[in-house]
Amino acid sequence: MRIYASASEETLRARKLLADWAGDGLLTQAQYEHLKQETVSELRTTNIFLRLILFLFTLISVGAAAALFFAVFLPHSSEQTNGIFLLICAALSYAAAELSVSQGRLYRYGIEEALAVGSVVFLCVGVQFAFFSGTPYSPKSYGFQSLIPAAGAVFSLWIWRRFGLWYAFPAAMVFAVFLPGYWTSSRSAQHVIVALLYAIGLIGVTAVRSRHHFDFGGNDYSRAEAFLWLGIYLAINLQLSSLDPRAHWWVGGTGAASEFARPFYWTTWMLTWLLPPVVLARGVWLKDRFVLAVGVIVAVLSFVSNKPYLGWPRHTWDPMLLGILLTGVALFIRRWLARGPAEFAAALPPHGYRQRTNGGSTPAPLHWAW
Amino acid sequence: MIILARLEHWREQGAISPEQQSHLASLCRGEPFSLFLELNILLYAGVLAFVAGLGWTVTTWSQQLGDVLVLAVLSTILAACFWYCFSRAPAWSLAQTPAPSAVFDYVLYLGSLIWCIELAYLENRLHVLSGQWDFYLLATAVFFFFLAYRFDNRFVLSLALSSLAGWCGLTISHWPSHQHAAYRQYSLLYCLLVGLGGALLQRRGVKAHFFGTYLNIVANVLFWAVLSGVFKREGYGVWLPALLLVCGTSLAWGLTRRQFVFVAYSAVYGYVGVSAILIRSISDFTFVLTYFVFTAVAMVVGLVLIARRFGRPA
Repeated sequence: MRIYASASEETLRARKLLADWAGDGLLTQAQYEHLKQETVSELRTTNIFLRLILFLFTLISVGAAAALFFAVFLPHSSEQTNGIFLLICAALSYAAAELSVSQGRLYRYGIEEALAVGSVVFLCVGVQFAFFSGTPYSPKSYGFQSLIPAAGAVFSLWIWRRFGLWYAFPAAMVFAVFLPGYWTSSRSAQHVIVALLYAIGLIGVTAVRSRHHFDFGGNDYSRAEAFLWLGIYLAINLQLSSLDPRAHWWVGGTGAASEFARPFYWTTWMLTWLLPPVVLARGVWLKDRFVLAVGVIVAVLSFVSNKPYLGWPRHTWDPMLLGILLTGVALFIRRWLARGPAEFAAALPPHGYRQRTNGGSTPAPLHWAW
Repeated sequence: MIILARLEHWREQGAISPEQQSHLASLCRGEPFSLFLELNILLYAGVLAFVAGLGWTVTTWSQQLGDVLVLAVLSTILAACFWYCFSRAPAWSLAQTPAPSAVFDYVLYLGSLIWCIELAYLENRLHVLSGQWDFYLLATAVFFFFLAYRFDNRFVLSLALSSLAGWCGLTISHWPSHQHAAYRQYSLLYCLLVGLGGALLQRRGVKAHFFGTYLNIVANVLFWAVLSGVFKREGYGVWLPALLLVCGTSLAWGLTRRQFVFVAYSAVYGYVGVSAILIRSISDFTFVLTYFVFTAVAMVVGLVLIARRFGRPA
């Protein structure tokens, strides 16, 4: 299923680790130069900045080429015709992505990524125009329109598996959010369906990732699991995923409370407090940075959304209390780790950190800003 | 071959020692698992949330709490932060110095942000300088430059450079006419002064690692200033060579120093500026699309050539 040979991806991963270790002083320069010769890959890679601008300009050229085709050859055609040609554009764009990898041996190069992303966009717009434009409204036809996000979700998942592009996975999750809106008008059911879809995905991902503990695929599944936990949390937190959260965010959450049945509302409130410890525990158990980060994020979100959930008024000093709590937790963990378990370290930066930040003491996100 | 097998293989080859193999294999297995980044991000988020809440509380409740109480609380926190920083900081050095403790940088951020809140409060409530905000910004810039160099902190340096830019902008806004042109000219002057200052300090070896921060800020302000000239309705012709010159310099710098963010700046800002001039008077939609197809493909080809020649990941 994967377009890249696993040996090639492993080699690239080993090469990156070697650079990190050499930067951290864990290998001598002579060792690094010697071992680098053993991790030569036939895949073409580039750095993050060139990757980003190659992505941007490829996307511009693909979008402009498609628009030019329609402007020149199909200026007055029907939406169905446009839809069929958009589906052809999707196929061409996808074929170009495959070719750029199989012939050009591009790996995270921006070009093949933009072509793959373009094919998903063309597919969704093409399905909409080809099959559903001008269709009069009826409950049955409206249900069929769920084909549009379904196609987007399935194709994004395919791109994720085939090319290993991590952002295709959250894109598939976003498409999945729109599915229940076509099937039921019940808001509670929509939340439950989305959470169930993500839960099914989570079961699948956790089953598969156990086979990829120390190989290159481990990171893909780690990110996917983290996104799924975040998705489940957002689906069950009615204060965050309510249709118009701003309307009742500052006045005590009465809007969301009246929008849903009381048992459902309070069950989701309980789940918003149950889920963060589960995610945090899983992150710590797996030593998974992404899952751990999501655990922290959902814990903070539970604190932030608790008052609107309970219908309590907000105070101007709430962020101060949250700040004190976050700082206190960080300092407590730091002190505990200093004299506690040896399997975790608070003062030791992750490998490659010094190299990426020129050895600065300020945490990486602030360095990466410039 | 997964990385653990590779390490074993390299040890058998004699390329790495058994100790290195054991240590690197442990790192691959996440033993020990570093929580350094996570804890630092928690501390940073904690400081930001605290300052946001403090600012919000002061703004909302200043009437009820009274100026004396508010200023006393703010001054106490400020004094405590800077007492901590000055009492714990290592002796000043020209070279890069690590923070003495894990929370040092965050206490410094807290102090810097509280300084901003206190100045804003002083002017809003007591009108000490009768609305002359530019003086506050200048004083803040000078103070933050001092803190950045004393405590070796790039984040505070970014705040200092932003405050200085804000001072320039506010000063010009008080002038009566031709403001857009003045903004552009003074942006260029700002770039010249900050760039020269940063380069001079780097050559003298004074916190030479700060140079990257200077360069990034100067590059962005310079590109925006030149682009604003390119987007003028009249008299934009002179700005095109200026844009090309800046793009060329940024590209050359990025390629020779292998700092590819400058290649990205020159590609994106350059494309936007040149496109704005070339298609500004064209109303034919088909021509515009053709332009984008050919120029974007040309950019991709050019960038691929650059990537193949220079742009391998480190």
